[in-house]
Amino acid sequence: MKSFLNFLIAFVAINTELFAAEAGMPQLDPTYWASQAFWLILVFTILYISISKFYLPKIKDNLDNRENKIKEDLENANKFKEESEAKLKEYNSILENAKKEILKIHFESKSTLDKDIQSKKESMEKEIEREILKAQKEISELKKNSISSIQIISGSIVSNIIENISGDKLNESSIKATIEDISKKNMNKFL
Amino acid sequence: MASNPMQQFTVQRIGPEINIAGVDLSFTNASLFMVISATVIILFLFLGSKEKKIIPNKLQLIAEMSYTFVAKMISDTAGSKARPYFPFIFSLFMFVLFCNMVGMLPYSFTVTSHIIVTLVMALFIFIAVTIIGFIKHGFKYLSIFVPSGVPAVLLPLITIIEIISYLSRPVSLSVRLFANMMAGHTMLKVFGGFVVSLGILGGWLPLSFSVALTGLEILVAFLQAYVFAILTCIYLNDALNLHH
Repeated sequence: MKSFLNFLIAFVAINTELFAAEAGMPQLDPTYWASQAFWLILVFTILYISISKFYLPKIKDNLDNRENKIKEDLENANKFKEESEAKLKEYNSILENAKKEILKIHFESKSTLDKDIQSKKESMEKEIEREILKAQKEISELKKNSISSIQIISGSIVSNIIENISGDKLNESSIKATIEDISKKNMNKFL
Repeated sequence: MASNPMQQFTVQRIGPEINIAGVDLSFTNASLFMVISATVIILFLFLGSKEKKIIPNKLQLIAEMSYTFVAKMISDTAGSKARPYFPFIFSLFMFVLFCNMVGMLPYSFTVTSHIIVTLVMALFIFIAVTIIGFIKHGFKYLSIFVPSGVPAVLLPLITIIEIISYLSRPVSLSVRLFANMMAGHTMLKVFGGFVVSLGILGGWLPLSFSVALTGLEILVAFLQAYVFAILTCIYLNDALNLHH
């Protein structure tokens, strides 16, 4: 790098001698100063007028348009967001209410069902009790009836047996009385 | 041997000689490149603002970006009062930028590398800003030379320095642009000459320098246009918002 710089300096030194022949800056030659100033003013004036009258208003319009559009869109988006949030709140409250309703209905139906079952059970039990009582009555009646019919049967059997053995016809009423007397004595054994 | 690196700055007449009242106003290559730069700007802005799309195409985007860039530059440095001067500063920035950029093309001519061009622009800005200052503030505008909060002993000295610095504004503004452009182009030419004279064996190094310098010069072209415009804004700010 250093050797290159040395080389460069030497090179410039050699070249400056060549440049010296035409030394001087063309910028300082006043021949075309007036021309340059004149054309600069002319060109710049035209440029300034066309920019300020046509192009800048156009670009500004477009930028404003875009800004307004973005603002509008943002406002709309915010509005929609608020709306959707309100809707969501509404939906949530409806959902909440529905849940409460479900719980209530559930509870109510459960209690009515319980009550229903209870009452059904009670009536069923009563029915069963009644049936049992009826059956017991029937049984006891049947027992009483069977005792009288047994007495009758046993009376006829006894008279027949005695008749066959002794050949005598006994007084039926006395037999009946005897059987009734015996059966009364033994009633507790059968019933 | 490579040609004179200053040769690229020579002004030549194109077409007939125009002589008005003894002053030579002939159309030159400098004029031609002014016209080319202005035409390119107008073409660019025309194409950039032709279609008013909500979602811009590339050219429209660049045109709008340059608009907002200059608008932001003005509002940042000179505030809202400078709004009416926006078209002028925009034109100025675009003109200097495009003259610099067109000058970067090989075989072209750099309009802004001529002191007379930059001086005319700087003088116009200087005079316009001074007139605006006097219109806005009357003789109170002279208080720009008397900064507040300076000890009384130093005040005469500071005032003289302020006056000198104010008067040197057009010179510094014009010389900055002109010198930057001239130096850059001269340097490019010198390194280009090295490439030729060192030939195929040694020419690679200056060639790579040339490539790097071209990138640098494009940066400088933009930067100098920006500096020119922003200094105009600052001078305008001094004239519009007098708070010293």
